Amino acid sequence: MNNVSRKALASVALAAASLLVLSGCASPKPGAGYIECGVSDEGSWTDKSFNESVMDGLKKAKDEFGVDLKSAESNSSEDFAPNLDSMVAGKCDVIIAVGFNLVDAVNTAAEANPTFNFVTIDGWSNGATNLKPVNYKMSQSSYLAGYAAASYSTTKVVGVYGGMQISAVTEFMDGFYYGAKAYEKETGTPVTVVGWNPTTMTGDFIGGFTPNDPAGKTIAAGQIAQGADVLLPVGGDQFGALSEAISEAGVNAKMIGVDKNWTVANPEYKDLMLTSIEKRMTQAVYDIVKAGAVDKTAFTGEAYIGTLANNGTDISDTTFLDDALKAKLAEIKAGIIDGSIDPLS
Amino acid sequence: MTPKKIPSEIPAVDSKANSVLREIMSGDPVRIGLSILLGFFIGAVFMVVFNEDVVKSWSNFGADPSYALSTVWWTIQDGYGALFSGSVFNLGADNFIDGIRPLTETLRFAAPLIMAGLGVALTFRVGLFNIGATGQIMVGLAGATFVSTRLHMPAIIHMLVAVLAAVLCAMVWGIIVGILKARTGAHEVIVTIMMNYVATSLFTFFLRNPGMLLEASGGGTPKSDHPDGTAKLGALLGPDFNLHYGLILAVLAVFIYWWLMERSTFGYRFRMVGHNATAARAAGIKVENTFIWALAISAAFAGLAAANQGLSLDGGLTTSIEAGIGFDAITVALLGGSRAGGVVMAGLLFGAFKAGSSSMQFAGVSPEVLGVVKALIVLFIAAPPIIRALYRLPVPGPKIYEAAKKAKEAKVIK
Repeated sequence: MNNVSRKALASVALAAASLLVLSGCASPKPGAGYIECGVSDEGSWTDKSFNESVMDGLKKAKDEFGVDLKSAESNSSEDFAPNLDSMVAGKCDVIIAVGFNLVDAVNTAAEANPTFNFVTIDGWSNGATNLKPVNYKMSQSSYLAGYAAASYSTTKVVGVYGGMQISAVTEFMDGFYYGAKAYEKETGTPVTVVGWNPTTMTGDFIGGFTPNDPAGKTIAAGQIAQGADVLLPVGGDQFGALSEAISEAGVNAKMIGVDKNWTVANPEYKDLMLTSIEKRMTQAVYDIVKAGAVDKTAFTGEAYIGTLANNGTDISDTTFLDDALKAKLAEIKAGIIDGSIDPLS
Repeated sequence: MTPKKIPSEIPAVDSKANSVLREIMSGDPVRIGLSILLGFFIGAVFMVVFNEDVVKSWSNFGADPSYALSTVWWTIQDGYGALFSGSVFNLGADNFIDGIRPLTETLRFAAPLIMAGLGVALTFRVGLFNIGATGQIMVGLAGATFVSTRLHMPAIIHMLVAVLAAVLCAMVWGIIVGILKARTGAHEVIVTIMMNYVATSLFTFFLRNPGMLLEASGGGTPKSDHPDGTAKLGALLGPDFNLHYGLILAVLAVFIYWWLMERSTFGYRFRMVGHNATAARAAGIKVENTFIWALAISAAFAGLAAANQGLSLDGGLTTSIEAGIGFDAITVALLGGSRAGGVVMAGLLFGAFKAGSSSMQFAGVSPEVLGVVKALIVLFIAAPPIIRALYRLPVPGPKIYEAAKKAKEAKVIK
């Protein structure tokens, strides 16, 4: 660990490199010296879901502001605390803990290290003022997706299923259900939602968040057999399995993406994606890092809540949504924002 | 009714497979050491090849070859340096406590690996290939969690009862496999793998059920309550360290294993069956009962690992607290040559991998590199001929025979 000679060598190399006019040696970026750190929930940074959305935000901030990016993946719940400890030992300026599974660990870490700044995505603070929760009202955008699904559907049967029956998942399913039912109320055309009943709290669940779980494919095939031609899987990356179920059934059905804009992020599915329910964690993370690294504003424990109003969540625009539907969706969106429409009824 | 006919002979494995298995399990220290070395070397290759700085500097190799070569060296030094400072001693720490903390973390991670590893090692010595530690840990966790969250007792007693519950629950899971093996001849590899799935689903089922283990005030997520403070394995070195009494359990387990396998008549029977089940049977040993006992005691060790996992953390538990220990235990047992001392060393190595993983990631090494190193070590241990060929080691068995042959030839020439 000969740091001195290493640094000396590095500066020689850097000088040589700048002589050769290589790229990447421009004037220092505004966030140089700031260290942004991320600890993932169980699963990798490339899960095509919330871990990846957060990592995208960190990478975007790194590219634009020149901040240092450090990260650690958690393979199991026993990795959470050691990973957070490593970030503290590494003197991170902001430590972002992804997923509500880390909520206990990040609260403990925040209390033990009051001079460090922590962010919990989908979690909450037990009182530590150096811990900022980032949460989303996903029922709002899911409501829009439910309405769009019911409107687009030719069979007027739409399907939804979840990874596990937990509130983070059922919030999507509730919003979706009530959105579809709003279409029924408005037009008088009966709409059937298979896979979830918010009154009895019963529905179809895969039992986990393993990507493209065969159990999810079986559920999807069952819902297609019941006539569903727009399907929403709320359980990370289930779209490979779902698209197989659709093509095997030989029907003209569509899927609704979750967390990211799947039409853009995964163009291989774009012909099957009616829309996506975006949870814009990438933007939230980017904004938090920007506030600390560039604007140098003081970090607070005040919660960030993503809504339709602040653009923290929304549904993606695609070619399948025609102008009439888009106008209607804009009207509903305004209604949710001003409070005249409750997405949970 | 005639008594149920017991199959007269259940070979542990057929003779050829047996000799290969024995060679793999025998754990020649030189071969194991070389396997670890080779694993680290190939891991270094992965680190270098997938490092952005290295790739950039090599694309410009002609302009600055010494820089390109030095990035390679730095990458390896940074990566394994981070492993060292994350698992042994943090040279960059401000004080001694922070400096030595990584070593205590290695011990903390090693303890459950050693306990579960001893369990798997025991069955190896009896000639059984037991993949069931995962399931036994899951069931043990269910037992420990029930006692630690649903029952309330005075301190220490609560903890001891919870540990006992973990051990007993795991033993039940092991005995089922033992009985299936002894009475029906069902192969333990298949049965233990299947029992792993059953156990994981069962634990999830308990965690989802409000009347059983589901946390009282949660949002329906399958997660248990926090264990009672009275049931927890307390801190061993004070509040500055995460190390807890699980280490003491591991030390006890190592002594029990050593005494059982090397000193007791019970262990002698185990080893006899492991060497040659047919001969053991001829010598009057009840081989079927030995299988049941071996699997039960093996599961008890896994149960200790479960207690370590279930009674040490602050938060509520999910199935992920098993943390791959059940499968790592197989590797630890192989690496340790199924001996108490070897399992301790192997457990420490794998504990160091776990403890050092986050600092390695902080240094920019992807966590999969350690997975590759681990997998390669297993591969090389399981493929003795490769290692022998690579390092030109002699074939172990016929060595004496060959020496004799050479001596004979020498005589003939004379």
